[in-house]
Amino acid sequence: MKVQYINPFIEASFKVIEMVIGLQPVKGTLAMHPSMFTTQQCNIITGVTGKVEGMVIYGMSLTTADKIASRMIGQPVRTFDQLAASAIAELGNMITGNASMLLSEAGFICDITPPSIVRGTSLKMTTLNIPALVVPLCLEGIGDIEMTVSLQER
Amino acid sequence: MAKRILITDDALFMRVTLRNILEKNGYEVAGEAANGRESIEMYQQVKPDLVTMDITMPEMDGISALKEIKKVDPNATIVMCTAMGQKQMVMEAVSAGAKDFIVKPFQPDKVLESIQKLIG
Repeated sequence: MKVQYINPFIEASFKVIEMVIGLQPVKGTLAMHPSMFTTQQCNIITGVTGKVEGMVIYGMSLTTADKIASRMIGQPVRTFDQLAASAIAELGNMITGNASMLLSEAGFICDITPPSIVRGTSLKMTTLNIPALVVPLCLEGIGDIEMTVSLQER
Repeated sequence: MAKRILITDDALFMRVTLRNILEKNGYEVAGEAANGRESIEMYQQVKPDLVTMDITMPEMDGISALKEIKKVDPNATIVMCTAMGQKQMVMEAVSAGAKDFIVKPFQPDKVLESIQKLIG
């Protein structure tokens, strides 16, 4: 997992979060995991295919997911229904989509797959044996999004 | 009479967002399709003035749907509306007949500006 793959995701996440949620996130300390792993309650999983391939997970607590969905929809989310899940999934889709655009501009032409949401903790992905880089994004008054990127060159 | 628009996006959230933007500005939503295949079917049923088309969707992606709709109706007005703005993607869409290409996330004004320019 090359560090150069992570920068497009950081740049894209800042741009998308600012536009969609209306605040600037604060980047936490980067960490490396030996494989794809998340301990978060709500996870948006997106795939990348092409010259670079792999997976990106946006993990967060259920409370954070509710707050983000409320901001995106423009009204409080009382139950995490299909619309709220779709808003959260679209956030991941937009970040991965914008990052794939930046990766393509850097010569790593790639495409993305539609997002899925997985709820449940201690999720370990064993399909790819590539180390993962984890970037915590702190959203003031909302909570943290843990962005886990696991990509390799094809 | 209000201009009629067919929305195509697999995300319910995006369909609701686009519907709100369009209806607030005097457009009629002729239908909502959740993938490319649905969009082709609905296009023939509702004959909209314009189609908004996402690209990354299950079952059939937006580029394939764009090409199929263009086969049925070469005059179809289709605007791509997607999270992926790769140069190759934009070029493929435009050469297949897409009239505009909007990258998500977007400001409502950007969508309206594009639609107004194309169908008034």
